Amino acid sequence: MVCHVTVTESGSSRILPSREWAPAATHGEVADPAMQAATLTIGFGAQPVLSSIELPLACQSITALVGPSGSGKTTFLRSLNRMNDKVRHFRLSGRVELYGHDIYGRGVDPLVVRKRVGMVFQRPNPFPMSIRDNVLAGVKVHKVAPRSSYHDLAETHLAEVGLWSAVADRLSDSPYRLSGGQQQLLCLARALAVSPDVLLLDEPTSSLDPVSTEAVEALLVRMKERVSMVIVTHNLAQARRIADRTAFFYEGRLVETGPTEALFESPKRNETARYLNGQFG
Amino acid sequence: MAAEAPGLARAKARKPARVLRAFVASAAVIPLVALVAMVAVLLVEALPAISYSGFGFFTSGVWDIGSLYSNAVRTGGVLHLVGAQYGALWLIVGTLESSALALVIGFPIAYGAAVTIAERLPRRLAAVLSLCLEVLAGIPSVVFGLWGVLVLGPILARDVYPTLAKLPDVPVLDVFRGEVGSGEGLLTAGIVLGIMIIPIIAATTRDLLRQVPTAAKEGAEALGMTKRETFKTVQARWIRSGVFGAAVLGLGRALGETIAVALVTGSEIQNPTNIYDTMTTIAATIVSQLDSALTDPTHLAVKSLAEVALVLLLITLIVNVAARLLVRRSARDVALPVGAGL
Repeated sequence: MVCHVTVTESGSSRILPSREWAPAATHGEVADPAMQAATLTIGFGAQPVLSSIELPLACQSITALVGPSGSGKTTFLRSLNRMNDKVRHFRLSGRVELYGHDIYGRGVDPLVVRKRVGMVFQRPNPFPMSIRDNVLAGVKVHKVAPRSSYHDLAETHLAEVGLWSAVADRLSDSPYRLSGGQQQLLCLARALAVSPDVLLLDEPTSSLDPVSTEAVEALLVRMKERVSMVIVTHNLAQARRIADRTAFFYEGRLVETGPTEALFESPKRNETARYLNGQFG
Repeated sequence: MAAEAPGLARAKARKPARVLRAFVASAAVIPLVALVAMVAVLLVEALPAISYSGFGFFTSGVWDIGSLYSNAVRTGGVLHLVGAQYGALWLIVGTLESSALALVIGFPIAYGAAVTIAERLPRRLAAVLSLCLEVLAGIPSVVFGLWGVLVLGPILARDVYPTLAKLPDVPVLDVFRGEVGSGEGLLTAGIVLGIMIIPIIAATTRDLLRQVPTAAKEGAEALGMTKRETFKTVQARWIRSGVFGAAVLGLGRALGETIAVALVTGSEIQNPTNIYDTMTTIAATIVSQLDSALTDPTHLAVKSLAEVALVLLLITLIVNVAARLLVRRSARDVALPVGAGL
C-alpha cells in the first residue's frame, strides 16, 4: 500500500490507514522499570490525545520518545509527573506507575510525585533570582538539606552539570545573562538538586546550539546511572546517540518501542521505518 | 564614481508622507515643551515669592497673606501686604504624611486584589472584579471627596476611630492615640487617598502577573512547589520592579490629588497634633487658598502659591527619579525581564 504522507503540525492528518493497533510487542524485556504506563488513555474534553499506551520506562537508562509533532509525546511525558492535571478538561484512564505505585491513585499528592519525577523544559526557564538561588530553589522549598550545606550543595550540583568553573565567581548574578546552553544546564542542576528518581526532558536541546547540545547530552549520559530519564526529541540522531531505548509515537498511539539500536536498524512496523528514514515527520 | 543607477535612487517622499512626518515629529516634542514651559512659567511667577520668603518658606508653618486694610509696603524690592508671611512647612509635611498613609493603606489591598484576580479566581469572577477596578479608577475625585466628608468621615469618627484610639500605648500602635475629632483630618485623608490609588496599583500589578510566562511557573511546579511557593519563587520576583513602579504611580497620584483631599482634611494649615487631626496638603491649599489669594493687590499671595506648586512638582520629580534609580539597581542584582522601563 502506497501512501503519500504529509503530517501537519497539529498531527491531524488521517492519511495513514487507521486500524486497530495491537499493543507493541517488544516491551516485555524491561525488568523492574522505574515507571510504567499501563492502558493509559488521555484526552482533553472530547478530544482523545493518547490511546491505550503500554510503556515501561527502564531504570538507570534513557528512554527517548520520538514521533511527529502532535503525536502525543509531550502529553505523555507531562502525564508522568502530573503536569497535565491543571489543564482544562484533562481526563485520564489507566495507570502510571512509579516503582509500582499508581501516581494517579487515591491519596497521592501530585507535589510529591513532581518532587520525585523532575522535569526540564524545551526552553531554559531559570527563576528570577541569583544563579545560586536557582540551584537551591527546590532544596530550600523541600528543606532536604540544612542551611549550612547550601554553599557546598550549590557547588556540587553546578559542578555536576559542568557549570561550576563558568559561574563560580558570579553565583550572585542573574541567570539571564548566561548563554542559552548555560541556562539549560542551570535548569538541569536545579532539577537534579532535589535528587529525583526520574527526570523528564521535553526537547531540552531544541533551542540550543550544537556545542551546548553536546554538553547537555554528555551530562544526561553521565547522570543516567543515578536518575532514570525520559526524553522527548525531534532529533533522531540525538535519540540514537544517547537513548538506551526508543519509543515511536504516532497519532496518539505508541507504535513501537525497543532498544534504540534495534528500533533504528530493524523496525518492525512500516510507519516506524518510514518515520525513522525521514520519509515523513 | 557614483554612476546614475536608474530605478535605485531614493524616491522623494510624497507630500502626505512629509506632512505626516512633520506632524509626528512635533507631537513627539510637545510633552517636552509643555514640561519646560510649565516649569519656566511657575519659576518666573514664583521668583518674587522666593526672594521674599527665602529659606523661611521651608522652615515656617505660618501662611498669612497679611492685612488687606493697610497699604502695601515694599521689602527687598518685593511689594507685599503688612504682616504677610508665607511658610509651606506644614503643607509639605501634610502632603508627604497623607500620601505615605495612602500607600500604606492602599498598597497591600491593591496587591492582594491583583494577586487574587490574576491567580486565584475563576476567569469570570476575575473579569467582574477587574471591571470593578476600572470603574473605581473612573470615579471623579470630587465624588471620592464628597463621599469621604459626608459618609466615610463621620462613620469612622463615630465607630472606628474611638476604638483605634484605645489601642495599647506601645510603639507603632501609639500613633493611633489622641483626640478623635470629627472625621475630617489626616487619617481620613489617608484612607480616602488609599482607596483612590488602589485601582492603578491593582490594575498594573494584575497585568504584570498575567505577563509572567507559563514556562517559568511550570518550572517551579515541576519541582513540586505548591501554588504559594511557586508564587513566591517566580511571580512575586518576576513582577517586583514593576510593582514598585506601580506603587510610585499610586504615590504620584496621592501626592497630587487635590479636591478629594481639600474636602476631607479640614483644610487647616497646621501640623496635625495626632493622626485624626485636621491638616492640609500642597495641592489642597492651592485650590482652597487661590480665591483669597486673588484678593491680594500685591499678587504676592498668588506668587507664593506658584512657589509651593513648584515644590510639589519637585517632590513628584524626586519621587519618580528615586524610584527609577532604585529599580535600576535592583534590576542589576537580578536582571528582571519586566519593569526595567517602568
